[in-house]
Amino acid sequence: MTREELTADDVDELARRAQGGDRDALEQLLAAVRPRCLNVCRQVLPYTPDAEDACQDALINISNKIGSWGRQGRFTTWMHVVAVNSARTTYRRMKNQAISSDVLPLEKPDPRTTSVIAGTRLDLLEAMETIEREHPQFVEPLILRDVYGMSYDEIAQQIGIPLGTVKAQIHHGRKLARPLLRGSD
Amino acid sequence: MRRLAVGLALIGIIATGCGPGSGSAAAPPAPTVTGAAGDTHASAYDAAESRPREDTIYPDVGDPGVDALHYGLDLRWDDRAQRLTATETLLFRAATSADHVQLDLARQLQVGHVWLDGKAVEFEHPGKDLVVKAAVRADSRHLLQVTYAGTPEPVVAPTDRADFSTTGWTIAPDGTVWTMQEPYGAYSWYAVNDHPSDKAFYDVTVHAPKGRVGVSNGQLLSRTSSAEGTVTRWRMPEPAASYLVTIAIGRYTETTDTGPHGLPISYWTPSDRPELVAGLRYTPQAVRYLETKVGRYPFPTLGVLLVPSRSAMETQSMVTLGIGDYTLSRDVLVHEIAHQWYGDTVTPDDWSDLWMNEGMATYLAEANWTGDHTRRSRTGILRQWSSFVAGMRREYGAPAAYRPGTFGEGNAYYIPALMWDTLRQRLGDQEFWSLARRWLTTHRFTSQDRDSLAAWWSQASGQDLTPVFHRWLLGPTEPAWHAG
Repeated sequence: MTREELTADDVDELARRAQGGDRDALEQLLAAVRPRCLNVCRQVLPYTPDAEDACQDALINISNKIGSWGRQGRFTTWMHVVAVNSARTTYRRMKNQAISSDVLPLEKPDPRTTSVIAGTRLDLLEAMETIEREHPQFVEPLILRDVYGMSYDEIAQQIGIPLGTVKAQIHHGRKLARPLLRGSD
Repeated sequence: MRRLAVGLALIGIIATGCGPGSGSAAAPPAPTVTGAAGDTHASAYDAAESRPREDTIYPDVGDPGVDALHYGLDLRWDDRAQRLTATETLLFRAATSADHVQLDLARQLQVGHVWLDGKAVEFEHPGKDLVVKAAVRADSRHLLQVTYAGTPEPVVAPTDRADFSTTGWTIAPDGTVWTMQEPYGAYSWYAVNDHPSDKAFYDVTVHAPKGRVGVSNGQLLSRTSSAEGTVTRWRMPEPAASYLVTIAIGRYTETTDTGPHGLPISYWTPSDRPELVAGLRYTPQAVRYLETKVGRYPFPTLGVLLVPSRSAMETQSMVTLGIGDYTLSRDVLVHEIAHQWYGDTVTPDDWSDLWMNEGMATYLAEANWTGDHTRRSRTGILRQWSSFVAGMRREYGAPAAYRPGTFGEGNAYYIPALMWDTLRQRLGDQEFWSLARRWLTTHRFTSQDRDSLAAWWSQASGQDLTPVFHRWLLGPTEPAWHAG
């Protein structure tokens, strides 16, 4: 297979140019990160059209908020966080729609052919919603660690909090999440 | 016991939706097989005997119990209904004794019937595994026939690369069907031991609808058109790994060319894009250049097939290139042709050794060819790579110990290319390229791993090179590369 056209360094360079207002660089950047962004969304939203919606939102958020990328870590790491948040927003919106239209299914349908409301990671998203009510600060580190497999160091750098705090938040977050996840009853 | 077995089979049918055809009573006689594939004792396919193994990175795909020798695929594509209807004939050797035979086959394909050695057999098709309920003894050969149909869907790829996110059977908006399927995804359109440790011969017949034509690997044996459409028959005369199989069904025009030693070359370009042929005419020169480095081109034919992808694949003797500025650039063309030696002739037997393919192809194409044909020097190119590879090792892992979700990232390309250059400097140009050629001739058409490679290079050079390979491929920190 061919190597990727752009290395992570190239992506960072494009992102720096996009921050400076270069529209072409922004276009190239969004095209380059779209598949990565879609994969991030797919990990929480298994139904592809839902993930695509979330990815579309994430790309819009990236272009609107690119100024807030701090350049201290990889652009793609920052993008992961934006994509997670977009996936969660999409999930929340769909859940509200489902409740208002009263179509929340009672049984667990096939996640590959059914929307996120009945998707395989419903339990995870619900757990995050529950944790967020009491401990909003646990959610992002927990997702970055347990969904993306990012290292503690990277998470600390990403969120800008000390390593020890990250570890403690993830530890507490996991304790809260465990009883809420499927297969743990 | 008998009653219990029947009960279990029924549960299997209900649970997996196989339908009433999975029982032996309802099955029609097995389809007739012609040619050597029908004779399980024929020696014609001995060269495809492999040592299949379970993958260390992607253990859910492939099964070490099956050693496929020959796949005969008869594929009928209905573009209006987007429906594939297929008859598959698989000659295989049982690698181990077992009470069942397991292949990869996507759940989107509904299996009609399965026959083993001409007799209808029961099967289950839960998820992506086709489980054939028949006992086999280690080292015995069998003929498995399967009919199936459905609308194939691509498989999610274990990567976050920018140029692809799915593999396997893909239907473009204009109806063109195409595939790229590394590290797996062949199972999206046929029943396969979808693992690089198990090479096999292929005969593929494609019944394409009117106005379209099916393109696959190897030699085009025949092409016939009728009111219904076009039938093409393709044959790979050397064994290939499943990720190196390509197929496209679309509106294509064939242009022929000739390479060194009279090598027949064909270009398959979209009929409405005739201007794309010109760039492909560099192919004979690319082959000639690579022959000076790694020896005679290994297959009897070569082709280049263009598809609506953003990536490019070294599919065996029929390179598949996406249509785009980058994927149609000369260095990508040279890179994919270089894989015909490193990747296709000798193939990794585990996905942790993807670097065996990408390291040498990158070294040949992006370092040596670019250094010899552009204003950039090989040393300058390698120096630039050495400036950023440490970050790749940190982000994705060592080249032979990458994180499963980061298939095909830069660490598998640039780092082993710098390693090969380090070995070239140590052994000298003449010895290095001589060994690079001999590794291929002594292991041609097999699958190998990094241990056998390191041992062979050490033995052949008379130097213990194993620590060098280990440091570059598995070490936690980036070894220094020096210009020389």
